[in-house]
Amino acid sequence: MSLIVIRNVSYAYNETRNAVDGVSFDVKKGDYVTIIGHNGSGKSTLAKLIAGLLPIKEGKIIVEGKEVNEENIAEIRTRLGIVFQNPDNQFIGSTVKDDIAFGLENKQVRSQDMDAIIKEYAEKVGLTAFLNYEPQNLSGGQKQRVAIAGILAMKPDIIIFDEATSMLDPKGKKEIKKLMYDLAASGDDITIISITHDIEEVLQSDDCIVLNRGKLFMHDKPEKVFEDAEKLRQIELDVPFIEKVREVFAKRKIRLKANDLEGMVEELCRSGSKH
Amino acid sequence: MSNLVFGKYIPIDSLMHKLDPRAKLIGLFLMIAAVFVPKSWWIFLLIALLLSIALLLAKIGIRMIVQSFKPMIMMMIFLLVINSLTVRTGDILFTIGTFAVYKDAILNTMFVIVRLLLMISITTLLTATTNPLDLTLGIEWLLTPLKVIHFPAHEVAMMVSIALRFIPTIIEETMRIMNAQKSRGVDFENGKLSEKISAILSLIVPLFSVAFERAYELADAMEARGYVPGAERTRYHVLKFRFLDFLFMFICTAILAVSILSRFYL
Repeated sequence: MSLIVIRNVSYAYNETRNAVDGVSFDVKKGDYVTIIGHNGSGKSTLAKLIAGLLPIKEGKIIVEGKEVNEENIAEIRTRLGIVFQNPDNQFIGSTVKDDIAFGLENKQVRSQDMDAIIKEYAEKVGLTAFLNYEPQNLSGGQKQRVAIAGILAMKPDIIIFDEATSMLDPKGKKEIKKLMYDLAASGDDITIISITHDIEEVLQSDDCIVLNRGKLFMHDKPEKVFEDAEKLRQIELDVPFIEKVREVFAKRKIRLKANDLEGMVEELCRSGSKH
Repeated sequence: MSNLVFGKYIPIDSLMHKLDPRAKLIGLFLMIAAVFVPKSWWIFLLIALLLSIALLLAKIGIRMIVQSFKPMIMMMIFLLVINSLTVRTGDILFTIGTFAVYKDAILNTMFVIVRLLLMISITTLLTATTNPLDLTLGIEWLLTPLKVIHFPAHEVAMMVSIALRFIPTIIEETMRIMNAQKSRGVDFENGKLSEKISAILSLIVPLFSVAFERAYELADAMEARGYVPGAERTRYHVLKFRFLDFLFMFICTAILAVSILSRFYL
C-alpha cells in the first residue's frame, strides 16, 4: 500500500501558469524518493503541498490514509517533517536543545520526558556536544543537523528534504547526505523525499521523479531515468558522471553494466585482459 | 557584525541566568521605572552600582555593555544638540560665537543620557541572561490575566521572542546589504539629501524583501513542526519561583521605593 498518494494535484501562485500542474504519483513506505527538476519546476511547491503548507486547490494528496486538508493537517504534521533549504530561517529555539524541544512541545510530549528524547536525537545526528550552543553559531552542516534532529525527535514516518544541502559547503553537503543515506538505511521505515539538484544523490534513491514546468516528466527507478539521457537533455538536465561514462563506451559498442565507477573499471579490466 | 549585542542571548551559566524569567521581567521593569523617577545623581549612582553587581553576577563583561551603547551614540549627540538649542535656562556655561550654551541644557541632556544608558544596560541584562523561549514564557505568564478579555497572550509573547531572536540576524543582513550596495557605488555617508534618501531606499527595499522572505520561511518551519497559534502545548522549561527569585524582586522593589522617596527627600 502506498504511504503517500498524489492525484492530479495542481497549484498556481498566479494566473499566468500552474506551478504544479496535474501531478500524480505514489510513494511507498520506507522508500527514498528524489525529486529533480530545474528551478521553478514545482519541486518545492509540491513539497509544501504534501506538508500542508499550501492549500490544495485541485486534486488530492493522501498521507497515511488521510487526505491533506485543514481537518487532518495537525495530525499529519505529527508524522511528517520537512527540512528547508536555508538553515538560518528555521530556528525557533535559542539553543540547540531548545530548538529540538520546540516540536516536542507542540506535540505535547511531557516536560520530564523531553531531555532524554533531545539527548537521543542529538546523539543520532552527532550534536551531543553542542546542545547548549546557539544554532546561529554553528556551521551550515551542523545547523541542518539541528533541524534534522528537531524533526527526528518528533518521530515522523516521512521526512521531506527541500534542497537541504544546496546552501552548504562541500563538507556540510557530505555530512547531510551521509545522514540522509543512514536514515534511509536505518531500518526505521522512515520514508524520505528529497528535493535535490544533486544528480549523484539521485543514484542512491529508490525512486526518482522528474518535474518540468510543473508537470511530471518522468517517474522511474533512477537507473531507468538516466538510461534515457536524451530525454533528460531535452529539458537540459544533467546526467550523472557514471552515465556519461557508460554513454561514451556505448558509442564504441562497449556495454558496461556496473552501477558504480569501480565496477565499471573492473568490467573494463576484465574485458581488456580477455583481448 | 558579531559584536552586535543588543537583544542577544548569551548562553552561559550564571546566577542571573538561573533566575526565573518572570522574576527577571518583573524586577527589571521595576528597575526601569526606578530609572525614570529620580532627579538626584546619587540615586543614579546607586542604581548603576546595583546594576553593575547584577552584570557581574551575570558574567557579562563591561565591553559587551559598552558595545550595546554604540547604536545610541548618534541619538545622544542629537539630544545634546536639540537641548543646547532649546533650553535657555540656568547659567551660561560657554559660548560659541554669539550662541550661548546653558548649564541646564547640558544637565538635562546628561539626565536623559544616563537614563537611556541605564535602560539599555537593564534591557541587555534581561536579554543576555534569558533565552528567548524563557522570555516568551515569562511574558506570556505576565499577560495571562488579559486572556480574560481574549487578548492573544501567547501569540504576542511568541512575536516578541522571535523579534528579539532576529534582531542580530536582521542587523547582520543590513550590514551585508549595505556592503553589497557600497560595492556597487552607493554612498551612504556623503552627498545631497536626495542622494542620501535614494541610498537609504536602496538599503530598505531589499532589507524588507529579505525580512519578509525570512518571516515566511520561519512561519513555514514553525507550522511544519506542528505549531498552531493558541493550541495547547507542553513546556520544556517549566517555570518555578524560588527564594532567589523573590529576593531579586524584593531588591528591585526596594530600588524603586528608594527612587520614589528620593523625589521628596533629596
